[in-house]
Amino acid sequence: MAGSETKLTQTRPERMVAVVSEPDLPGATPRFNASFIRRWVRASAAQIEANRDFLTQLDAAIGDADHGVNMDRGFGASVVDLEVESELGPGELLTRVGTTLVYRVGGAAGPLYGTMFRQAGAVLSEATFDAEDLLKALRAGLDGIQGLGAAVEGDKTIVDAYLPALQAFERALRAGDDVASAGRSAAEASHEGMRATIPLQARKGRASYLGPRSVGHQDPGATSTSLLFVALASVTSGAP
Amino acid sequence: MSRPDPGSTVVSAAAARRGTIQSVDRAARILKELGSGPSRLGVTELSDRLGLAKGTVYGLLRTLERQEMVEQDPETGKYRLGPAMLQLGNAFLDNHELRSRSLLWADSLASRVGEAVRVGVLNGTTMLIVHHVFRPDDSVQILEVGASIPWHACALGKAVVAYADDHERAALMREPLVALTGRTITDPPRLAGALGAVVAEGFATEDQEAIVGEAEIAAAVFDHRCDRHARRCSDESQSLGGVVSRAVVNDHQFAGH
Repeated sequence: MAGSETKLTQTRPERMVAVVSEPDLPGATPRFNASFIRRWVRASAAQIEANRDFLTQLDAAIGDADHGVNMDRGFGASVVDLEVESELGPGELLTRVGTTLVYRVGGAAGPLYGTMFRQAGAVLSEATFDAEDLLKALRAGLDGIQGLGAAVEGDKTIVDAYLPALQAFERALRAGDDVASAGRSAAEASHEGMRATIPLQARKGRASYLGPRSVGHQDPGATSTSLLFVALASVTSGAP
Repeated sequence: MSRPDPGSTVVSAAAARRGTIQSVDRAARILKELGSGPSRLGVTELSDRLGLAKGTVYGLLRTLERQEMVEQDPETGKYRLGPAMLQLGNAFLDNHELRSRSLLWADSLASRVGEAVRVGVLNGTTMLIVHHVFRPDDSVQILEVGASIPWHACALGKAVVAYADDHERAALMREPLVALTGRTITDPPRLAGALGAVVAEGFATEDQEAIVGEAEIAAAVFDHRCDRHARRCSDESQSLGGVVSRAVVNDHQFAGH
C-alpha cells in the first residue's frame, strides 16, 4: 500500500448558485458569502467520504487506523450543522464547523482541524468576504494548527500539505490571478506537499513513535488536508 | 535524514569497542539498520550505510541468514529481518519482569478507569512501552508496545525521571528537549518544576504534550532496591518503570479559551 496514489475524486459540481451577494461594479473584486463556506464544507465532506477507507489505510501504517472514519464522522456531522444553522454568517459557520470537528473527529485530527476552522472563522467577521480575506482566514487556520501541534514543514504532518497550498494561493493572488486559478494552484501545491511526505520521517504525533519506520508512508493528515484544498478549488472554480 | 558524520562514528565506535568482538558488533549493527530503515536493504546499501566492505557485509548476512535472523527477498535479492527476531523480541517482553508483573493489574486498571493503560521503562532519553492495554471501548487502536516516547513529553517519563538520582536527572535535562506539540515543556527550569511537583504529589500528568488531543496520568513503580520510606530510588534501577492511563481530552480542549 505504500506509495499508492491518492484517489482525488472530483465532487459533483453543484449548479452555480448566486455566490455574489451584492451587485458588484464591473471589474470589482468578487465577494463571497456564507454559501461559499457551505459549499466548501459540503465538498470537503464529499472528498473525505470518498477517500475514507484510503485515509484509514494510510493511518493504519503509521498511526491509529482511524483517521478516515473519524474525519468522515466529523465532516458528516458538520454538513448536518449547515442544514440546521441557516442564519449564520461565513465566519460563524466556520467556527461552528470547527467546534463540531473538535467534538466529533477525535484523536489529534479533531483538535487540529477544529482549531483551523475556528481560527479561520474568527477572521471572517463580515457577511461577505473577498479572496484576500479568504487568504487571511486560511493563514489564521494554519497558525492555529501550528500553535497547537508545533509542527513545521518537513515534520510529516498536515503542515506539509497546508503551507505550500497557502503559499501557492497567495502567490497566485499577488500575480493577479483570479480566485479560481489561485484555488487550483493551492490544490496542486497541497497535492505535491502531500506526496512529498512519503520519504519523510515523522517528527510529530503517534507516527513519530515509530522512528525511521514511518519513512516510506504517505502522511494521512497531509492527505486529508490536500482533500480540503481540492474541495476548496472545486468551489473557487465556480466563482466568478 | 541526518546521518552521523562517518569519521566521528568510526572514532567513537573504536573507543567504545575496546574489549568487544568486532564481528558481533558489526552483525548487530546490520540487524539494527534492517530494523530501523525502510524495510529491506541490499548488500551495497548496507555496506554504504555501515562503512564496511561489501564482502564483509555479505559474509555477515549469510551467517545471520543461517540463524534466521535475516532473510533474503527472492525477487529483489535484498535483505530484511528474519523470523528469529520476532521470537527474540517476544522473549524480551516475556522476560521483562515489570511487564510480567503488570499484566494482570494493568487490565483491571484499564477496565476500572475506562482508559488505555501503558507500562514503560526509561531507555536512554525515551520511555520504551513494554505493555499496553487498549481503552475498553470499540474504537480502533494500535498496539504501542515497542514505541519510544521522549521522556519529557509523557507523564510516564516525568513520573520515572522525577525519582531518578540528581546526576541522572541532570544528564537527561541537558539532552535536547524537542517540542512534540505546542504544549510540550522544553524549558529546563519549567520541566524541573514539573518534576518537583511529581515528587510532591506522587504522580505525573501530561496534557497534550506528546500528542494533540491526548492526556496522561502516570505514577512510578518502584522495585525492591528502593528505600521504601524516602520513596526515592537509591540506585540506577533498570526495573524502575511507570504506568500510565491515557485520557482523550478533546472535551476540555477549548475550556481555556
